Amino acid sequence: MKSKKLSETIIKTFKTNGFVLSEPDVLLDSDYIIERSGEKFRSSMLTFDREDGKTMCLRPDLTVASCISFLQKKTSSKIYYSGQAYRRSGGKGTNFINDQLGIEILGSKNKIQDDFKVINTILSSAKKIKRKKILIKVGDISLFKSLINSLDMPERWKLRLIRHFWKPSYFEELLKRLEKNTDIDAVTFDADKKRFYEMKKLDQDKVVAGRSISEILKRFDKKIKDPRSFVDGKKIVKIITSFLKINCKLSELDEKLLDFAKKNNLKKNIFRDFKSILNLKKLNQDVNFIANFGRDVEYYTGIVFEVFSGKNEIARGGRYDDLLKSLGAKKNIPAVGAAINLKNI
Amino acid sequence: MKDLITIGLPSKGRLKDNAISFFNDRGLKILQSEKERNYFGTIENKPNIKIIFLHAKEIIQRLGDGTLDIGVSGLDLLKESDINLQGKINIQRKLDFGNANLVIAVPDDWIDVQTIADLEEVSFDIRSKRNARLRVATKYPNLTNNFLISKGVTQYKLIPSLGATETYPFIGSSEIITDITSTGKTLADNNLRLLKDGLILSSNACLLFAKKKATKLQPFLKSFG
Repeated sequence: MKSKKLSETIIKTFKTNGFVLSEPDVLLDSDYIIERSGEKFRSSMLTFDREDGKTMCLRPDLTVASCISFLQKKTSSKIYYSGQAYRRSGGKGTNFINDQLGIEILGSKNKIQDDFKVINTILSSAKKIKRKKILIKVGDISLFKSLINSLDMPERWKLRLIRHFWKPSYFEELLKRLEKNTDIDAVTFDADKKRFYEMKKLDQDKVVAGRSISEILKRFDKKIKDPRSFVDGKKIVKIITSFLKINCKLSELDEKLLDFAKKNNLKKNIFRDFKSILNLKKLNQDVNFIANFGRDVEYYTGIVFEVFSGKNEIARGGRYDDLLKSLGAKKNIPAVGAAINLKNI
Repeated sequence: MKDLITIGLPSKGRLKDNAISFFNDRGLKILQSEKERNYFGTIENKPNIKIIFLHAKEIIQRLGDGTLDIGVSGLDLLKESDINLQGKINIQRKLDFGNANLVIAVPDDWIDVQTIADLEEVSFDIRSKRNARLRVATKYPNLTNNFLISKGVTQYKLIPSLGATETYPFIGSSEIITDITSTGKTLADNNLRLLKDGLILSSNACLLFAKKKATKLQPFLKSFG
């Protein structure tokens, strides 16, 4: 019962920090999750068909399940969960059952304060169990976004790079194309002007396969005006790759970023939004900033972090401001959370 | 009979006729039952060979479970099948019939969408404006999935279709489709257009055999090159 005792110790810390137990449903509507999270989730979910034809799945992840439960107004906003999630993770002989233990602040009103609260709670519970050589690695997706938005390149390239940041291999492919100025859209664009003018005369609200005529024409117009190629791809790729190489102690970060901006002739204030990370100085703990970090999970939007004890990652988490909206919330509900990696404790 | 060889051939249409000619041209004359709808056949002077006429999809399945030793079916159907099943089947050679392409098609009037890159942008538009996924109707979910993901498209949802997929975008069942086409006429007649870089797979008929039976079949297969 060793692991049970460990969980109890951790949960106690969660509770003293004001987190309340959330017990999300085990069975979820599979179509709902695919609708919100995309097709790539499908292959990892364990599903079955109910008598009424609805496809159900075992909850694949407790963050997602807790968010759904929150949206059904079943829980308060500052929660912890402790339970099993069920999914295929590819590879033979892998376990379908993952024990998950973590905290979330859903509807986070004060970004800096809540980021700190989550990291601090995770850290103090981790420390109750493993004290040796604790190190925190942090990154911040929003810094990357600020950098991209400050660079001089066509809008569609900016969006592409930001959208695919979390898929490092495809991202590398994009950078190569950017470097050589070979747009993935390089195929000659047949400006079908004749049809364009015909369609302008149609009812603009008419819908063709889910898109209104006005929506199609607007994008068409924007596209022919957007420059097809631009000169400085090479220079821009150099800036991006050198940014992604930044890896330093938190105490040096300020200076590093200023230095980086200066070297690359960027405005000083493009990185103004990293207070959450600087605030971590208060933890009195070794913190490393790594720009090339937190790139395997699509939904992170801000700070991302992992807690290490020696070489073992014992917890990870981050800010995900868009997930609740994509799960069906009517407005933006910012959120931040983290989970303990029980396997490594 | 220990050296019995079972061959599965498509049971319908041009694929059937072409498969039969392929064997006939090599001196293996296929004899069909006199009963018009009988599914079994033989080869002249080859008592150890049994022919079964089956649905092309079924041929892949039966090669996988060992019912068939050899079969003629489409590369598209093989590549679409379950990865474990594919591992049990080898391609002896590609045949020069049954040519068709699996492609992505969008409505003609989506004049702003010419490439996969456009599609990727539009899928994000749909997600951010309507909080929904671009729906892709297809009879080939596996191939479509792998292709789209490899091209960086992630914001979509597959809608399994059994037929007349071309209608889907216009009856509200999906926004775009992927489908198999040889001349492109059906797509064009239904107001759909190919993407310029939207070729998922160039398919043709193949002579296939069950991996497990490779040793037994080698002498016979050799004659096909």
